[in-house]
Amino acid sequence: MTALDVLWVGLGGGLGSLLRWWVGRVVGERYRGDFPLGTFLINISGALPMGYLSVLFAVDWHTRHGTALTAFCLTGIIGGYTTFSSMQMDAVKLAGTRGHGRAASYLGLSVVAGLLAAALGAALALAQR
Amino acid sequence: MVNLVILVMVGGGLGAMLREFTMLMVPNPVDGFPLDILVANLLAAFLLGLVTALHRRQVLSDDVYMLLGAGIMGGMSTFSSFVYGSVVLMHASIASAVVASVCVVVSLALGYLAIIVGDNLGGQARRPVAAAARGG
Repeated sequence: MTALDVLWVGLGGGLGSLLRWWVGRVVGERYRGDFPLGTFLINISGALPMGYLSVLFAVDWHTRHGTALTAFCLTGIIGGYTTFSSMQMDAVKLAGTRGHGRAASYLGLSVVAGLLAAALGAALALAQR
Repeated sequence: MVNLVILVMVGGGLGAMLREFTMLMVPNPVDGFPLDILVANLLAAFLLGLVTALHRRQVLSDDVYMLLGAGIMGGMSTFSSFVYGSVVLMHASIASAVVASVCVVVSLALGYLAIIVGDNLGGQARRPVAAAARGG
């Protein structure tokens, strides 16, 4: 990790956060239910490429491109795109409106779907090799 | 609109760099659980609870809340690395799969708690986030 890599993380994180904000807005305009669908879709759609690209970068591309690509794409863009804090904030709000059971199911569903998406992404990358 | 784009982007970039610095400072235990990501996530959740309460009390303006909440705290916390790290750990062995599952549940509980603690610190304790969401 060099100073330049930190800048790549910052640039990627800015772009990823912008994408998160935009997806959240678009989903929020179309879906009016109680379920925090925006954050859920953001996190699952980020978990899949995280699994996929982590495998690709670690094994095949690392020697060619070094750490800059990982810093920009994985830590930066995808890391900034997905969010843990907003998910927890959604859960606390959901607990207030729909009770603790709903909040716990939302967190459980997010994590199980996220684990499956990340595993699927990694499996896809391994299958290609 | 353009202003919001700049706030989210600059905040998100700063947040992601803060996450990177946190990850460089926090050592990972030998069993491979990504403790560094957990620390960054908990810190971001605590701060998000705090600034959300301050925004509700109108201590922070909408723009500042956008920069801090959607930008910095959103960019600082991450879900993708959290689940991918757990997948890698779950794949290693049965024992590490058990450890990873426990860690995931504990992480979720701690993250939830971090929001509550931050919210209580930033707002009046008698009007927490849950009551505000109800419109109370």
